[in-house]
Amino acid sequence: MAYVITEACIDAADKACREECPVDCIYEGDRMLYIHPDECVDCGKCVTACPNGAIASEYKLTAELEQFKDVAVEFFETFPHAEGGAEDIGPLGADHPVVASWPSGGAAG
Amino acid sequence: MSADVAGTVDTTGFDVDVDLVVVGGGPVGLYAAYYAGFRGMSVAVVDALDHLGGQTAAMYPEKQVFDVAGYAAVKGQHLVDALVEQAESAKPHYVLGEQVVDLVTGPDHALLTTAAGTVLRGRAVLLAAGIGSFAPRPLPVGTEYVSRGVVHFVPRPSDYAGADVVVVGGGDSAVDWATTLEPVARSVALVHRRDAFRAHEASVARLRSSTVEVLTPYEVAEVHGDDVVTGVSLAHESGTVVRRDADVVVAALGFKADLGPLKRWGVDLDRRQVAVDRAQRTSLPRVFAAGDCCGHPDKVTLISVGFGEAATAVNHAAPLVHEGAAVTPGHSSDDQH
Repeated sequence: MAYVITEACIDAADKACREECPVDCIYEGDRMLYIHPDECVDCGKCVTACPNGAIASEYKLTAELEQFKDVAVEFFETFPHAEGGAEDIGPLGADHPVVASWPSGGAAG
Repeated sequence: MSADVAGTVDTTGFDVDVDLVVVGGGPVGLYAAYYAGFRGMSVAVVDALDHLGGQTAAMYPEKQVFDVAGYAAVKGQHLVDALVEQAESAKPHYVLGEQVVDLVTGPDHALLTTAAGTVLRGRAVLLAAGIGSFAPRPLPVGTEYVSRGVVHFVPRPSDYAGADVVVVGGGDSAVDWATTLEPVARSVALVHRRDAFRAHEASVARLRSSTVEVLTPYEVAEVHGDDVVTGVSLAHESGTVVRRDADVVVAALGFKADLGPLKRWGVDLDRRQVAVDRAQRTSLPRVFAAGDCCGHPDKVTLISVGFGEAATAVNHAAPLVHEGAAVTPGHSSDDQH
């Protein structure tokens, strides 16, 4: 695992990070995007790409965002077919329960 | 086809026959090439890109790197240039623009075949393949002008002195190349299909305070030219099309990396990396690995770690190449050049 997408991505619908990712490891859920923890190669290009500042290194997550590390791991455990390149997989149409139940209206926290 | 930098003459039936074949021309592969020369081995370096420097040259050529031993700070491209210079003492045979698609090991040699059909024979192989072979993301139009004015790299900005340059892209490379070329070129325009750039704030600030003409949200609709590029048509989001003269179009749309072929060679993997022992040996005889492509659960993927792995691997390959050679090399300072 290397980089993690956090709450600022929820309902943001910006996919600039996917254009930068050299290994196509950013998968599309319903309300946010998820970085595949085993496929990420730690290059960090997505961090500067994200206009919402939603992406951070797993080692630099604030306490309140720490849970998004588990969100990513569990998301890909739930959707094991989401591997080998997000472009071929396409939108998964679903989210991790924490994200699915996140209050709408942006970064309420 | 192959770029034969060292002018090696082939008399063997193989296209390239060397002591060590290094797969990957990034920092770790280049350092391994130097090191092979230091150990008295002949060496070839193969890379899918037609350009040395791997991820460093492709993804952050203009960024300062602070964690390479011996440099307080060094730009990615400068580090690559220094490694190429250091490797020259080994007279590497460079095979660039060719992806290695096949690797077969035998009792005394390994054979590697590239997508272009070049066959390399090595007494040992070092996989320094990083995150895989890089391919530039192409412009949606004008790909017929690649290397006739459309480029994906700017290794030497001085090549574009006096030129009208159009840089396309919204990431770090696009922004950094635009500002680097500004004082050199006659004009520089940066074209991006969104208003926001995907680059470091400091880089964008430098762009905004430069004379680079920032054209957003525009996309390249057409590349014009005869033998070489003469201009581009740029389509605004609203549908308006503007035409601009250009001698050079820098397509900085990022890269895709592919470790695919390597996974088919039968080499054991540890999760997504090539498994290695403490001598950097892989599961295949005569095949070693170093740098980001290999690992174990405690691995820290850094250039500086990759350099150490390259030296470890090449030293352990030495007895396979030259019978009776010691693993431990002695001091490089004993051998004054």
